[in-house]
Amino acid sequence: MRDIIELNTVSKIYKTGEKEYRALDNVSLKISKGEFVVILGPSGAGKSTLLNLIGGMDSVTSGKIIIDGKDISDYNEQQLTDFRAENIGFIFQFYNILPTLTVIENVELVKEVVKKQVDAKKALESVGLEEHLNKFPNQLSGGEQQRVSIARAISKNPKILLCDEPTGALDSKTGIEVLKLLKMQCSKSSGENTVIVVTHNALFAEIADTVIRVKNGRIESVTQNQNPKMVDEVTW
Amino acid sequence: MLKKKVFRDIKFNKSQFVTIFLMVFLGVFIYSGISSYMDGMKNGAQKYYDENNLQDVWVVGSNFTKEDLEQIRELDNVNAAERKLTVMGSIDNIKDSTAQINFIESNDISKFHVIDGIKFDKNEQGVWIDSYWAENNNLKVGDTLTIRYNEKTFDQKIVGIILSPDHVYDPKSEAELFPTHMDYGFIYLSVNEFVFGAENAIYNYILVDIDNVKNIDETKLNIENVLENAVAITDRTHDLSVKRFEDEIEEGNTYTGVFSGIFLFIAMLSVVTTMNRLVRKQRGEIGILKALGFRNKKIALLYVSYGFWISLCAGILGVILGPIIVGQIFLNMILTYYEMPELLVVVTWKTWLVSALIIGVVSIVTYLSCRNELKEKAIYLLKIEEPKTGKTNVSLDKGIFKKFGFSTKWNIRDIMRSRIRTIMGVIGVTSCCALIICAFGILNTLNDYIDWQLKDLYNFEYRIALEEGYTDKSFNDIVSSYGNNTSQTLNIEFKKEDKKEINTITVDDANGLLRYTDENRNFLELENNGIYVTRKLAETSDLKVGDTVTWHILGSDTWYSSQIIGFNTNPQNQNITMTKKYLDSMGIEYNPDKVYTNTDLSNIKELSGTEAIQNRESIIDGVESMLETMKTMVIMIIFAAIILGIVIVYNLGILSFVEKTYQFATLKVLGFQTKKIGKIFIKQNIWITFIAVLLGAPLGYYMAYFIFRMAMADDIDMMAKVNVSSYLYGIVGTIVVSFIVNYILSRKIKTINMVESLKANE
Ligand SMILES: Nc1ncnc2c1ncn2[C@@H]1O[C@H](COP(=O)(O)OP(=O)(O)OP(=O)(O)O)[C@@H](O)[C@H]1O
Ligand SMILES: [Mg+2]
Repeated sequence: MRDIIELNTVSKIYKTGEKEYRALDNVSLKISKGEFVVILGPSGAGKSTLLNLIGGMDSVTSGKIIIDGKDISDYNEQQLTDFRAENIGFIFQFYNILPTLTVIENVELVKEVVKKQVDAKKALESVGLEEHLNKFPNQLSGGEQQRVSIARAISKNPKILLCDEPTGALDSKTGIEVLKLLKMQCSKSSGENTVIVVTHNALFAEIADTVIRVKNGRIESVTQNQNPKMVDEVTW
Repeated sequence: MLKKKVFRDIKFNKSQFVTIFLMVFLGVFIYSGISSYMDGMKNGAQKYYDENNLQDVWVVGSNFTKEDLEQIRELDNVNAAERKLTVMGSIDNIKDSTAQINFIESNDISKFHVIDGIKFDKNEQGVWIDSYWAENNNLKVGDTLTIRYNEKTFDQKIVGIILSPDHVYDPKSEAELFPTHMDYGFIYLSVNEFVFGAENAIYNYILVDIDNVKNIDETKLNIENVLENAVAITDRTHDLSVKRFEDEIEEGNTYTGVFSGIFLFIAMLSVVTTMNRLVRKQRGEIGILKALGFRNKKIALLYVSYGFWISLCAGILGVILGPIIVGQIFLNMILTYYEMPELLVVVTWKTWLVSALIIGVVSIVTYLSCRNELKEKAIYLLKIEEPKTGKTNVSLDKGIFKKFGFSTKWNIRDIMRSRIRTIMGVIGVTSCCALIICAFGILNTLNDYIDWQLKDLYNFEYRIALEEGYTDKSFNDIVSSYGNNTSQTLNIEFKKEDKKEINTITVDDANGLLRYTDENRNFLELENNGIYVTRKLAETSDLKVGDTVTWHILGSDTWYSSQIIGFNTNPQNQNITMTKKYLDSMGIEYNPDKVYTNTDLSNIKELSGTEAIQNRESIIDGVESMLETMKTMVIMIIFAAIILGIVIVYNLGILSFVEKTYQFATLKVLGFQTKKIGKIFIKQNIWITFIAVLLGAPLGYYMAYFIFRMAMADDIDMMAKVNVSSYLYGIVGTIVVSFIVNYILSRKIKTINMVESLKANE
């Protein structure tokens, strides 16, 4: 299997006034195409930082990040923006949908930046929101809002789907539904799409192909899971 | 701890606080500057009149004797009375000059304000000269003047450089609306110096000082009874000098009222919305403070203190700087053509009250907006504030709306969500546009006034004012060399029903060298069967075409009846006009007092039987130089309008930008390029600017119209004229302001830090 993501001695240093803080410290890492990856670690470990660097939302202090064979660590703003538009889907703990657009408009938004054909309706059907197409976000429940943002992320079929605590604000039942959707995105396109999920829930490790544990800005361990479970097989 | 929060809040909401500060400051600054100017004029004049004992009553006649004077002095309520002989002459030392020469016996009424030299003394030889005139012609105490009067010349040394309270406004003629103090001025001498001897002085004025204003009307009647030979008895309300200065204040009051009112209004609106937003943004924090157990009162106080302290500092600074910068500059400007010793700004309790009110309003609004939040339970405050459903979220997926792109839809909904902010934006930009157009319109109108009065109505090159009692010979000499184009001004009193009014009739025999305009500014041919009144006079005295007015010449008891056969318009003189033929038909003798000619008279030094020769070009020059001063004021208004526009547009832009940071960050994450987001963001502001310009252009015209048509003094009737270029300046200026601000704002999108913005779900 080819590596879709490769981090080479990546460091991220935040400066607050005089003080420097190493959020990521010399991290090297490889992630293969088509995997479902779970990142675990205590609060403040650097998980979000890691995810944001992979997604081109932030730039490294030192080191290299190679995505699909391209070095994005020295991209400029514009290049990074196009890179995100073409390759990355994001899902956050808070749903990040625009309050003034309807459900379907929120998904169709993607058409403004992606050349690929995008079928918003189909994406919303696949997350079970076909009933709510013309509602506004504030007329939806939290889980439904999160599904809108998932529909938006998967509607363009991104090479990499990055999720930062996607179930953090949901009850466990809705959380499981969301997780299923994410897992499906990974398996449906015959091993082309990679999904990375940051979570505090250690149970996620059971369904992952690869589990990465982060602590104090360093990679503590990378475990390959020989027999990842289906979402329904896990007792939550 | 809370103190720390105050400082942090101010730091993080810098631009909002700067806005509040600037808006309160600018509002108070302009308001207090302008009112200190107006009050300074009013107080300055009053003080000057009081200290120098300006006469209460002017008695005009042709030969007042010592007995006449004594009779007046003996009247009840009369404090003092003095005689004055005023004649027109010239001074050889000053090129093309006309001098008003006054001979007096004493100087207890309208006492000189001595700038250099000595006080008046009947036994002193020498001349006291108008200080403005002296300064413009570089004359000093000790210089010798060659005074020419009635074809005689005599030399006098200057013994005093003075001002006189009855010469505050003193133009050579009514045509010279704005005196230049170059070729015309006044001088005073002791009657002992009268060329034909003191005992031969023919006094034509008596100045009367009365003990109490209340007794003026009564005393005027008494004087009328004792003096047979009085031609006119007027008081301060009808004196040109006093009245013109009062009119200046009155006019100023209206147009500066319009400007500073609009300014204050916009500033306040903008402060109120900003403060309201600021508190709403702090919802979460209010919730936390409540959850921690802070009393509502304490929290409210915290937020009110933001508004209070900031507006207090801004208000005080405004009240201090406004008078110094705006007020005194304006006062110094008007002192270039009104002759007064000094004018100082006056800050009255009204200014402080208005400032206190503004600070109060800011504090109350802050309190009201946080009270709304405080009413809710802490737990709800901590939740995300959801946009209101219903009307705000317009469904745009039907009909033509379906075709709208994402950015149009998004902008329409965003406008619907924040209607107040949008309306504020429209008001702010509209006012900015209107102020600029109005300011340029004022300039256009003043320039147009020159064309109207001095090119349309005056169709002559020279006007010769004839001396009183000129001989037939000198009259015939003049008209045979320069043409028989003349006019006479009759001082009359007219009556319609029971109302009496003093005015003048111009009797026209100028053969087209004087022209008249109708209400549309088209030229008017005068008919010979009645009288014409000016439109403004018709309005103020309620006269209609077809009405009959009865009138008599002052000093005569014969009454005549005349029918009004038309209205004419005149920018600066509201009176009655008739042709000589009509006068003849009534059997009244015609005694011309002005001769008009197109012959070049620039080389004529002296003409027997004349009082003054005026050149139209030099009148125009005088008015134009005055317009220069006005321009400075107008430029200040435009400057203020632009600052106002920038601050409002920027402030609203920042507000909406801050609100949308989270959405922009989301778009950025999705891969929208900064430029594209900028375009979406700017769209709204372009709409607002477009609407504002559409509203601002007619509003600007209307403001100018209001100022000239409604607000000016009774005898001014200027038609507001706004050139196409002024509209263009206003519109282009507004658009430029709006684009600069938009450009700055859209550059800010680049600086949005996605990671940080998305961490906090605002
Ligand atoms: N903008 C910033 N400035 C300074 N320090 C920062 C900044 N962003 C993150 N950090 C620090 O970097 C470290 C890693 O942050 P990160 O958000 O990656 O943690 P995390 O593993 O996602 O934690 P959590 O599970 O709580 O979300 C933290 O200790 C944080 O304090
Ligand atoms: Mg995190």
